Amino acid sequence: MMKPIVELKHLSKNIKGKEIVKDLNIELFPGQITGFLGPNGAGKTTTIRLMTGLMKPTGGEVLIDGISLAKDFEKAISKVGVIVENPEMYKFMSGYKNLLHFARMHDNVTKERIGEVVSLVGLENRIHEKVSTYSLGMRQRLGLAQALLHHPKFLILDEPTNGLDPAGIREFREHLRTIAQKEQVSIFVSSHLLAEIELICDRIAVIKSGQLIEIREMTTEQQPIYYLEAGPDSEQLLTTQNYVFEKFGNGYLVSIDRDAVPKLISKLSSEGIDIFAIQPHHQSLEDQFLEITGGGQIVKASAK
Amino acid sequence: MLKLLQNEWMKLWHKKGTWVMLILLILGVFAFAGLYKWTGNLEKENWKAAEEQSIKEQQSMISAGDLSKDELQEAKDSIKISEYRLKNNVPPVETKSTESYMEEGTILLSFISLFGTIIAAGIVSSEFSTGTIKMLLTRPISRAKILTSKLLTVFIFVITLAALSLVLTFICGSILFGSSDGTDLVIEGNKIVEASSIGHTLYMYVLNFGDIFMSVIFAFMIGSIFRSSSLAIGLTLFINFMGASLVMLLSKYEFVKYLWITNTDLTQFEPGGFSIVDGLTMPFSLTILVIYAIIFLVASFITFIKRDVTA
Repeated sequence: MMKPIVELKHLSKNIKGKEIVKDLNIELFPGQITGFLGPNGAGKTTTIRLMTGLMKPTGGEVLIDGISLAKDFEKAISKVGVIVENPEMYKFMSGYKNLLHFARMHDNVTKERIGEVVSLVGLENRIHEKVSTYSLGMRQRLGLAQALLHHPKFLILDEPTNGLDPAGIREFREHLRTIAQKEQVSIFVSSHLLAEIELICDRIAVIKSGQLIEIREMTTEQQPIYYLEAGPDSEQLLTTQNYVFEKFGNGYLVSIDRDAVPKLISKLSSEGIDIFAIQPHHQSLEDQFLEITGGGQIVKASAK
Repeated sequence: MLKLLQNEWMKLWHKKGTWVMLILLILGVFAFAGLYKWTGNLEKENWKAAEEQSIKEQQSMISAGDLSKDELQEAKDSIKISEYRLKNNVPPVETKSTESYMEEGTILLSFISLFGTIIAAGIVSSEFSTGTIKMLLTRPISRAKILTSKLLTVFIFVITLAALSLVLTFICGSILFGSSDGTDLVIEGNKIVEASSIGHTLYMYVLNFGDIFMSVIFAFMIGSIFRSSSLAIGLTLFINFMGASLVMLLSKYEFVKYLWITNTDLTQFEPGGFSIVDGLTMPFSLTILVIYAIIFLVASFITFIKRDVTA
């Protein structure tokens, strides 16, 4: 088993007697992109602030590459690149001066590295203009650039694609993939855009009311499910043949392997049952998310 | 630390307000030079007659008999110096000379105090209000170092402005007034000695820094604790303006001696200075100021380091 880059151990945070984060345990591994999901008010932002040292935990600890954030903040945080919410830059300075500013706060970030990062995020043409003239998308790019300056081993992104156009989102996604794979960076992305998370992440962690309720690999295939729409007698056939299925819309969701599909079709047709459609059924992350978090009710309850 | 100072300095001079302050200060120097040259008494008076006049005035004040002990001493010293001038033919520094203009120019330091207060009030709170504080505090640099770099930047800023105003008033004075033939005289112990006018101006600058540093540190504290620059500026200015009246109002109570606002004006110990509260001395005031400065700084550092950043 690979050594985790980041470990949250029994992390808790109480604010004014309210438990915002409760006994959170997560491990993040190199080269892996983990999505961080949760309804509003679940404690996502607080967790991220605890992981970046902006807030101090009331219990537990954050280890980054084995170093405790609370005990040796400077050493631990030097391995982390952060974009918290909208990247807030010094608007009265140029993008380049902003990067220079942050570069000076790390050891060994050269001018060449700044140039490298600028071209990586595609800002070469506008980098010497004031940030106040930038669009939101360009600020996001600058935000990514400042987070990558010091070759972090761990990248935390809070709502990173906020304000990016579709092309920008796609490019951003590819950047993240490249960084994760080439430099073996561990990436932690929090987002409300479930479709986005689904496309980027290898793994998702879901929290609700400050507690981790689900952590699952996205790459491991789920039990394959096929959607079948066929004549009225099909239900009886499915039952007698011991298929696992449930009713869904006008048809059924049948849990079968891909290899078993032709057999099912030939059975149905030999029985003379009409087949209108059979197709792989993909449960979207949104469905899964609502299933896990219990949908609207919980959102309401935790928003109180 | 040098890199952090570089950063703060860069951010400071990328703000328009900073340049406005600089320009206002330069304009202030010129405007003051103009006022000083073209208003008031233009004729070169006969210094001997003036000294004789001054002796008479002082003597009549002494004989009137309602002077305090300090004032009496001052009047006697003044007479001694005037008599010495007449006897040895030593003219005083003329009112229209570089030296006197520079000495009067210390009034520009109140501008610097104001500008320093504005910068100190905003240097921490603006990072919070723009949200850049998150970017700043997620770097491998302790919060204490970041706050120190900001405080030092404000100090460097006010010292730079003061140095600039000193140099500018010297240049302006040299062009407009020319050097004086006169000499400053002071009493040291029982002897009358010559004093360097420029030296005295520098000393006045240094004394004024008591007030400037206290305003800056106070504004810095309020700005970093309450994260509101307007509150910090408002409160600091309020205390600067109302401080004297407040002290006056409370002057019968003993505790007023131990308030920092009673002690910030270090020029009160110079000849011609005026203390609202009796019994203050330079070492006493300096001690009080240092104690308050430490309290203010400890308060700002503790809140800044402990704070959960939610901006």
